[in-house]
Amino acid sequence: MIDIVLTINGVERSGTVEPRRTLGDFLRDDLGLTGTHLGCEHGVCGSCTVLVDGASARSCLMLAVQAEGAEVTTIEGLAGNDGLHPLQQAFRETHGFQCGFCTPGFLMTALELLRDNPQPSEHEIREAISGNLCRCTGYESIVRGISLAAERAR
Amino acid sequence: VTTPAARFIGQSVQRVEDDRVLTGRGRYVQDIELRGLAHAVFVRSPLASGRVMGVDADHARSLPGVIAVLTARDLEDCASPMQIGVELPGYLRPAFTALASDRVRYVGDPVALVLATTRYAAEDGRDAVDVEYEPSEPVATIEQALDDDNTPIFDDVESNVHYREEREFGDVATAFAGARVVRRTLRPQRVAQVPMEGRGGVADYDVGTGQLTYWASNQAPHSLRLNLAMLLGHPADRLRVIAPDMGGAFGQKTATFREDVAVCAASKLLGRPVKWVEDRVENMTSATHARDEEMEVRAAVDDDGTIVALDVGMTLDQGAYPLVPFPSPLFGWLVRTMIPAAYKLQALRWRYTVVATNKASYGAYRGPWAVETLVRELLVDEIARELGLDPVEVRRRNLLMADEQPTSMVTGPTIEGVTSRETLDRAVELIDYEAFREEQFRAHEVGRLLGIGFSTYIEAAPGPPDYAEAIGFPIGGERAHAKLEPDGRLTVLTAQAPHGQGHETTIAQVAASEFGVPLDHVRVVHGDTDLAPFSTIGTGGSRAATMASGAALHATRAVKAKVLNLASELLEIAPDDLEMADAMVTPKGVPAKAMSLQEIAAAAYFTPTASEEHDLRSSALYAGPRGGWSGGTHACIVEVDPGTGAVAILRYLVVEDCGPLINPAIVDGQIRGGVAQGIGLALYEHAAYDQDANFIAGTFMHYLVPTAMEIPAIEIEHLHGEELDEVPFKGVGEGGTIAAPAAVLNAVADAVGGATVTVLPLSPERVLDLMDSMSTR
Repeated sequence: MIDIVLTINGVERSGTVEPRRTLGDFLRDDLGLTGTHLGCEHGVCGSCTVLVDGASARSCLMLAVQAEGAEVTTIEGLAGNDGLHPLQQAFRETHGFQCGFCTPGFLMTALELLRDNPQPSEHEIREAISGNLCRCTGYESIVRGISLAAERAR
Repeated sequence: VTTPAARFIGQSVQRVEDDRVLTGRGRYVQDIELRGLAHAVFVRSPLASGRVMGVDADHARSLPGVIAVLTARDLEDCASPMQIGVELPGYLRPAFTALASDRVRYVGDPVALVLATTRYAAEDGRDAVDVEYEPSEPVATIEQALDDDNTPIFDDVESNVHYREEREFGDVATAFAGARVVRRTLRPQRVAQVPMEGRGGVADYDVGTGQLTYWASNQAPHSLRLNLAMLLGHPADRLRVIAPDMGGAFGQKTATFREDVAVCAASKLLGRPVKWVEDRVENMTSATHARDEEMEVRAAVDDDGTIVALDVGMTLDQGAYPLVPFPSPLFGWLVRTMIPAAYKLQALRWRYTVVATNKASYGAYRGPWAVETLVRELLVDEIARELGLDPVEVRRRNLLMADEQPTSMVTGPTIEGVTSRETLDRAVELIDYEAFREEQFRAHEVGRLLGIGFSTYIEAAPGPPDYAEAIGFPIGGERAHAKLEPDGRLTVLTAQAPHGQGHETTIAQVAASEFGVPLDHVRVVHGDTDLAPFSTIGTGGSRAATMASGAALHATRAVKAKVLNLASELLEIAPDDLEMADAMVTPKGVPAKAMSLQEIAAAAYFTPTASEEHDLRSSALYAGPRGGWSGGTHACIVEVDPGTGAVAILRYLVVEDCGPLINPAIVDGQIRGGVAQGIGLALYEHAAYDQDANFIAGTFMHYLVPTAMEIPAIEIEHLHGEELDEVPFKGVGEGGTIAAPAAVLNAVADAVGGATVTVLPLSPERVLDLMDSMSTR
């Protein structure tokens, strides 16, 4: 077992984990941050996407011990005390999601996109989210949600 | 006819569900945590077919954290064998146990259940269980299943052909006599439903009370409860199923799975809660597949393209285990009933065979009968090609006009209020068909391959009263409860078990409009069998828009009548002279004497009840509409890369009619999501087995779910015909998936010069093959 200390959504957290424990399982089962969803556990669907030191990462493919000392942002860290993050608000207005299972992964991926490219074209948005699978929406409402958030940030 | 007040109807109000969905606060099965939870992992067969010679779990049981390893023998006394309950002449119904006892019948067949203190320890235990198998020759194809020389997959039935039927509607012989005959075969591939959340359940048996609570990702919690009560021999009054937030289902989660039985039995045996959450490979391998059908169709046509009659042969591969509670014949009955759609067909011959193979179970998938639209719409284009006619013109000649309704499909159901023809005409106009044909010609001159495809369908959503009779399967009405809470808010309990459809929002829109309260004064409760009205269907069959709305409307209306009667007593004013709006009851013309719903509720709750009428609860059954058809036309324009065979969708248009919309954004979301799945089926997805029935599509690297790069923007136009019913809303859940494959495939066939598509999905390699077949023609 290995002791780890990391910062999650701005709060220092610690744990003792087996080396094989994934970051996703550590977040969900050890820390109770169940907003991060595990959709495939082989790194394709993107549901479990979180930001590690600002970069998107598949928490199902990353070990908890690899996140030692890192700054991790999860879906639970997105909304502030004053309500939804502008991206969440935009998704709400565009009916971005249906069942909501893939939602946290898309939000974290879109967060990274808009930080790196605040005014993406539709094609750039589609490319950026092409590593996330949604089975409900056909993606259009998600693309619109990201566009709306970008438009408002202009 | 009193239609619901329009207040919130037709508005894309923001979803109630999004408060939790967007913040990561949804509560799915995998999020449920209980004290003393044991984690369950199944040991599954790596073989398609074989005998279980022995299970050695001694080493597994000695591993740290492992609590128990259960096999079929351990469950013998607490779970009876499963079997389809519906008896039909000639239908073979094998019985089987939750865990395989003597034989394994597909790759993924559950053989043992490992319970441990953590998921990791349970998986270690699984890897340490040593099962000795004696492999046997699998039945890997429909052809092999039809061969009576092959050993039956189940010992208790005599054949791998589980059902056959032949039916005739109208005068088939006369229709085919002397007619021109156009033939078509089609082999839709096995696909998987792929909800982003797989199956799972948490069973909590309370030794003290004998109460078993099962949280399950399931679309039909009441059906699951009934089946579990029977199979476990557990009193139904002490069995509660709760469907929490669900990460999609698409028909997969309508069943009572063998895993559900094993997990609940394990909780009873261990006397502690047990949690099972399957991983993706397990979901792909062992949950359900769909659409594995062989179609052979002949059409009798006149020279002008009039389709007089069809002769349809269908063989369905149900996989090994029939899925409780659905008899596999049902899927064919739906296809048989629906294949005429709004086409003026005079006769139909129908031959249907169900076979068992060593594969995963065939399950319901969004529009389970969709192959009727797929094969018919491909056939229409084939007829057009053979007769040298335009495919749009052939559709126009055959589709019923509004003034030809009401009438009946040759298979029975009444057709009324169906606008297939209008949606086709509008789609042709919006896609600018003539201009496209010119563009296609010009593009071809410079070596670009463009094509267009149409697909017209109708969907029983929920269908007319004689629809169930035509299928041969009872469906029935739907119930809702409503009650005024002590603070004047309204609770509506629905029989739906939504998993992304936004019913908490749409049902609230209907109820709040009727009740005259703000939207957030209505809470819609679902999924808990201790609370929700009984329904064996839950959410499925595109029923909610009509049936759940109708039930909620009537239950709400009944509570409203009680409220007005009570207010009448309190105000000493006749109920007819009272109005209800903005959560107030107001005497007409006397606003000063208005009472709030909160005051009226307080009067009902906090004074001794004088009569039944003061109990501000109600329950209503909605029997169903007269019309109940939704439908439409899809049009798709593609470009095929002549070098690689890759297909790009340049334009996708849906013109559809589901009546007036409750929430346009939710309706459009259902359509777009459905189309995306249809595109996946046409071009990308394949739940493939090799020739030895080994499953070879267990991950998302092998099973290609379309991404945002493959699915185009989808244009939608709504139109609606005459309103026949008090509840004019019609379901829209399945149409996208039903219609899209044919539109895409017709477009690709058109792009490569009119090829005949028979094998799916149309991978780039197969598109190149099609092009080769055209150049050598």
